[in-house]
Amino acid sequence: MPKQIYDVIVIGSGAGGGMAIKTLCEAGLKVCCINAGRRLDPAKDFRNHRKPWQMKFRGFGDPATRSESVGFMDNEWVPGVWEREIKYTTAPGTVWTWPRCWAVGGKTNFWGRSSARFGDIDFRAASLDGYDVDWPLTYSEIAPYYSRVERMIGVSSSVQNRPSNPDGEYLPPFNFRCLDHVLQKGAEKIGVPYLHDRIAQLTVDHAGHPACHFCGACTTGCDTGSFFSTPWRFLPLAEATKNLELRTDALAKNILVDENGIASGVAYIDRKTKQEMEVYGRAVIVAATNVETARILLNSKSRHWPTGIANSSGQLGRNLCDHLYGESASGCLPQLLGQPSFPDSVGDNTIVWMPRWQNLKNPHEEKFIRGYSVYPGGGCGEYPWYATQAEGFGSSFKREVKRRYPTPVSFTIQAPTLRMDTNFVDIDPEAKDAYGIPCARIHFQWDENVLKMWEHSKQVCADLIRAAGGVVESTGDSPNLPGWSLHDTGTCRMGHDPTKFVTNAFGQAHDVPNLYACDASVFLNCTDKTTTISIMAFTLRSCEHLIEKFRRGDIKSA
Amino acid sequence: MAGQDLQRREMLRIMATAAAFSKFSGFAKWAFICSHDEAAIERIRPENYQPQFFSPSEYATVERLTELIIPSDTTPGAKEAGVAEFVDFAVSVDTERQYPMRLGIAWLNAHCENLFGKAFLALSQTQQVSVLGPLAYKAKFREGEDDGRKFFAGIKELTVAGFYTTEIGYKEIDNPALKFYAKSPACPHPNDPEHKHLPPPKW
Repeated sequence: MPKQIYDVIVIGSGAGGGMAIKTLCEAGLKVCCINAGRRLDPAKDFRNHRKPWQMKFRGFGDPATRSESVGFMDNEWVPGVWEREIKYTTAPGTVWTWPRCWAVGGKTNFWGRSSARFGDIDFRAASLDGYDVDWPLTYSEIAPYYSRVERMIGVSSSVQNRPSNPDGEYLPPFNFRCLDHVLQKGAEKIGVPYLHDRIAQLTVDHAGHPACHFCGACTTGCDTGSFFSTPWRFLPLAEATKNLELRTDALAKNILVDENGIASGVAYIDRKTKQEMEVYGRAVIVAATNVETARILLNSKSRHWPTGIANSSGQLGRNLCDHLYGESASGCLPQLLGQPSFPDSVGDNTIVWMPRWQNLKNPHEEKFIRGYSVYPGGGCGEYPWYATQAEGFGSSFKREVKRRYPTPVSFTIQAPTLRMDTNFVDIDPEAKDAYGIPCARIHFQWDENVLKMWEHSKQVCADLIRAAGGVVESTGDSPNLPGWSLHDTGTCRMGHDPTKFVTNAFGQAHDVPNLYACDASVFLNCTDKTTTISIMAFTLRSCEHLIEKFRRGDIKSA
Repeated sequence: MAGQDLQRREMLRIMATAAAFSKFSGFAKWAFICSHDEAAIERIRPENYQPQFFSPSEYATVERLTELIIPSDTTPGAKEAGVAEFVDFAVSVDTERQYPMRLGIAWLNAHCENLFGKAFLALSQTQQVSVLGPLAYKAKFREGEDDGRKFFAGIKELTVAGFYTTEIGYKEIDNPALKFYAKSPACPHPNDPEHKHLPPPKW
């Protein structure tokens, strides 16, 4: 039997892989998607409407597996979807928390949904402040792709007229809660923006999916597909074309190459049979997430590519950037004491944000370059975590817990690191995973610039709470650990110069024209925005570039 | 990862030290449906809860403490929500809590013997409250009672965790997560952005 050759092999099915399979299948190409984890069953795997008392450990998770916990999302609401078997290592002195959802759809199943566009302030940052290099494209080139993605997935927000975070095509925004009005007044007083977030969560019916029912359980998966995820949205569209073959529990090992060093397929481990398999294609898209994409490419060594495929620049795996996250300040709003409870958590705290306001007029107006954004949240949540801070016991304590319920507020910073020579991913020379594949090894430290942003945000957020008439209870002592944001970027950076960049402005490998990276690995850095919608916009552009090659006959279809 | 629920993270942090769970016959006052069908769980609910960790007298003390921390007054409290069962369960699966809990109960009884010549449970409610006051309110803190204060903070943390994760606890604070909403809920006082002229507190 002649071996089957697909048009395109797509590794991964998250934001990038999901967009890729939809776009390519709809264009009539035969696609095989290999995904490292299993397919989720929303009925079984999403317990988003369960309450703590309906679960064995009240939502705190099985203590027997707690030592293997990958973080706070790894809980009783979404058990069994987090990758534990495939190990990674860290260089001495590096701490890297990496909660990986490798089930079909990846982290889109449980993502934060914040969906701001990158702008020219991001793409041309180097020209503005002299650090690092510009992106190889401008906002006007990518803007139409953002619009198309927004129309596909549905993003709720308002028009804000800030060139630093460009407006898109939005569904009506979420309504402000009491705490938003109060905090916005405070923000006004200290001169910082307090606006609707751009959130990929439906306020009205859209794309065949019902509007959100505002249950507030988004981080445990949506049972109505009211926020974007690959399994709810793109996978059914791709499967309807009959052009998709999805292989699950298929852990990509390396890219296969032909006698000219051009990509010819992917070797993977079937995790059920533990057998090594091969799948062949005329083009390969790697969309496995920033670090894993680097691991696959670095592990793809051959006579043509002695240091990993598409690595003639030596930049593969370098330039690792991440978002620093942390609670900059928290406190309470006494004006809301004793007021009736209000559904503050309906958008799971992504209703509003404070988009970057620093270094806009002048790139050097602060003690740091670039800038950060902040996500405010609070109010009546699923659990009154503040309760133990109320003094005493008895009826007065019980009443105090109830009185304080609407009052807590907190601010979470999202700050980008700068590209550093010392932050990168390579292959551990010794450690191998359960299937004998060499492990990714991470080298990473926060840089001084991002730590200055962290300090700055603590001051601003505390000032904001006070300006809003609130009481500051704490300012952050230390940020979250690196890796936690899952917004890391840079291992396959895009740029014009093949000697300095792994991919070009289309995410196409300079060295291997039928190999594309379609995840955050192509981004030059994190910016102050989240990565998901940009992954989708860039992937759409990459895929149409690839489809055009098939149309022109540069690559012959199967 | 914007918008991940900070409160849930905090909730997990609180419980982040629990250890192994085994051979557990079920709670008398609350049930779980995770990977079981609810009816089956109902059937195995024991009439009287059998403590997993505490001795009968320790358990009675824990029960009393949870009821003093979150009493049944105009609304149900720890007793109705079965909080003592949860505390026992949480300690039974958390090796780090076990010794301090046992020590704490012993400290409390010794302390009460000193003050009143009786164990905690034998005291009147007024006496029990007078013993706990200095452990619970900063203004009343007394020297030499550090162990007692730590114990009280621990049992209070577990009582809070055990109470506000029940349906009774959700109803107590009118937790909005009990409902769905047809439209994005909006602040009912848009004309008072600073919220300086709100109706008088409800509670």
